[in-house]
Amino acid sequence: MNFTRRKVLGAAGAAALTATLPGRRAFGQAGQVKIGMSMPQTGSLGAGGKAALVALRMWVDEVNQKGGLLGRKIEFIVYDDQTNPALTPSIYTKLLDVDKVDLLIAPYGTVPTAPIMPLVKQRDLLLMGNFSFQVNHTVKHDKWFNNLPAADASSWFPGFFEQGQKLGAKSIAFLAADQEFAQNLASGAKELAKKGGMKTVYDQNYPPTTTDFSSLIRAIRAAKPELVFVCSYPNDSVAIVRGVHEIGVGEGVKIFGGGMVGLQFTPIMESLGSMLNGIVNYNSYVPGIKYPGIEEFLSRYQKRAAEEKVDPLGFYLPPFNYAIGQMIEQAVNGTKSLDQKKLAQYLHTNEMKTIVGPIRYRADGEWAQPRMLMAQFRGIVDKNVDQFRSPGKQVVLYPGEYKTGDVVAPYEKARGK
Amino acid sequence: MKFWLGAAIVLVGLAAMTSTLKYEYFFFAGYTVLMFVVLATAWNILGGYAGYVNFGTPAFFGLGAYTAAVLYKATAAPLALQIAAAAAMAGLLGFGAGLLTLRLRGIFFAIATIALTVIMETVFINWRYAGGATGLQLLRPPPTAPFESYIKMLFMVMALSAVAAVAVARYIERSWIGRGLRAIRDSEEAAEASGVPTLRLKLFACTVSGALMGVAGAPMPMYLSFIEPPSTFNLNYAIGALASPIIGGTGTWLGPVIGAVLLSSLQQIVTVTISSEINVLLVGVLLVVFIVAAPDGIIGLYRKIFARR
Repeated sequence: MNFTRRKVLGAAGAAALTATLPGRRAFGQAGQVKIGMSMPQTGSLGAGGKAALVALRMWVDEVNQKGGLLGRKIEFIVYDDQTNPALTPSIYTKLLDVDKVDLLIAPYGTVPTAPIMPLVKQRDLLLMGNFSFQVNHTVKHDKWFNNLPAADASSWFPGFFEQGQKLGAKSIAFLAADQEFAQNLASGAKELAKKGGMKTVYDQNYPPTTTDFSSLIRAIRAAKPELVFVCSYPNDSVAIVRGVHEIGVGEGVKIFGGGMVGLQFTPIMESLGSMLNGIVNYNSYVPGIKYPGIEEFLSRYQKRAAEEKVDPLGFYLPPFNYAIGQMIEQAVNGTKSLDQKKLAQYLHTNEMKTIVGPIRYRADGEWAQPRMLMAQFRGIVDKNVDQFRSPGKQVVLYPGEYKTGDVVAPYEKARGK
Repeated sequence: MKFWLGAAIVLVGLAAMTSTLKYEYFFFAGYTVLMFVVLATAWNILGGYAGYVNFGTPAFFGLGAYTAAVLYKATAAPLALQIAAAAAMAGLLGFGAGLLTLRLRGIFFAIATIALTVIMETVFINWRYAGGATGLQLLRPPPTAPFESYIKMLFMVMALSAVAAVAVARYIERSWIGRGLRAIRDSEEAAEASGVPTLRLKLFACTVSGALMGVAGAPMPMYLSFIEPPSTFNLNYAIGALASPIIGGTGTWLGPVIGAVLLSSLQQIVTVTISSEINVLLVGVLLVVFIVAAPDGIIGLYRKIFARR
């Protein structure tokens, strides 16, 4: 071999040099409050992440126009984590060590957030959660505050089972994607079904790459359940709704839906149109709910979203991301400090006023009063995105204080067949 | 001797960094660079020397990672034991996969290795004890002295693994095994006719390559404190492991090292500077450029330029 020590050392030197390069450009201006995060802008959560980022940038711009936090402008530092959990630990250590951010916001989603939990716990830092699900379960960090309106799997779907019980349903079929989030949700739903004394007549997981659901839908039909509970990801949700539209799930089904991710996203709602009618599904916000300030926020968001070509309605994630900003603002102004301990204490002890309603936190950083909505699609027509802006297209069935109507059942009747 | 002296200097230099550099970010980024040195070196043993293109890197890497995670969950085994078990399991997988697939050649072998990744991912999605589809969150134990933080310890562990992987690759390259593998790459029939034990050598290369990929994956669950199938069996590991030797040069042990250091450092920089979307594009563009303009990689280019003089 002709490779000499000089060459080997040269290669090692190049490695050491290139590894140190990013640090050279990372000097922030003194006097700014730095807030840092990674946001999935590509990969499977990319579309939602981009919309969420618009809301956070809106909050930053508005606070800066008012003079900033503690009289200092906010510098908002964001990296794209590609929805890849392998990237988030290095991104967050860069934010802390090189960019020297004052405050951290978690990336949207459970998987990119999970690897940074030990880091924030080890360094005892405040972390504002961003629609993550049970990531603090093992780590038990006392400075974690999630913006997800559900505390755990069983608090996600009480609305679905409450409606089922009202209709006298005794049997249920489960269909869930064999994926992290869907499995967590399905286990919570199964717990609720068991508590409600329902008999499981069908229980099937499907691989995340499934595109044809016709055999699964036929099997559900053959099992004759009264409730059909589905935990699916966006692409699967579309395929399942189309499959059910063609094949049907049987006359005996009273409620169909539950935990179908994607039916909250504008392009999917627009593309499925009237096929959505009758489905009872979870949601974080639907028009008609009068949280203070949310309608003004959405009208401002929708203008900006049109310019930036992201989710044009923005009901699902953007208001909750804006709420993260509002909570940071209240905690910083309330404590007149950026001290992580004081901020966490403030968030633990005070009720936060946000555009997604008042939020009070439990000791584990999840909502003390979960507020996941269960809504039924009604009167949806094809190819009309504007219809979703008006109240009544998604009738809120749960929780009681935000209820805008009663469930229409059975499902076949509700979907107009 | 020169090699070992160089390796010792590199290790001492990196160890000095762990005690002088305060910022952990460099160790997070450096860990990834070193991990790709191991992966690229491992890939090169089968892909570079023997010419068998392996897209199954994530299968071996992921099996290593999951072996370590499961072992830690079950017995709280120390990191060294996790790495040894990961190497054994991934080596076994390499041996088994080799037995089944090494009679295939060219594109058919490559397709079989992709299938291996899909099979492994499906297995771990359905294994509830290992976290299944939901993933497994692990709490790291305290770091072992003299390291003050776990990531610095993992960085040094990966540095040692990289040196070990390169030493193994260098030994293979210089021994009769390497000559046999090169003979297989040039013409398998001619090699067989000349008395080269082709299947045995290929099986050996497959096992060693798999074991080293398992070593690269073993510390990953502790690096992330989390493991879940889609990101563990991500095809990007296959692309990185394949692109680095092609960019650096596949014929020698130094090629994958140069390629991995260059490529993954660039990717780390691009992720936090321009955009992480660009980093995937970067790999693609560099691959095309090197395949067209410098098929023997940087090493080949270097030799060509100096041979002309």
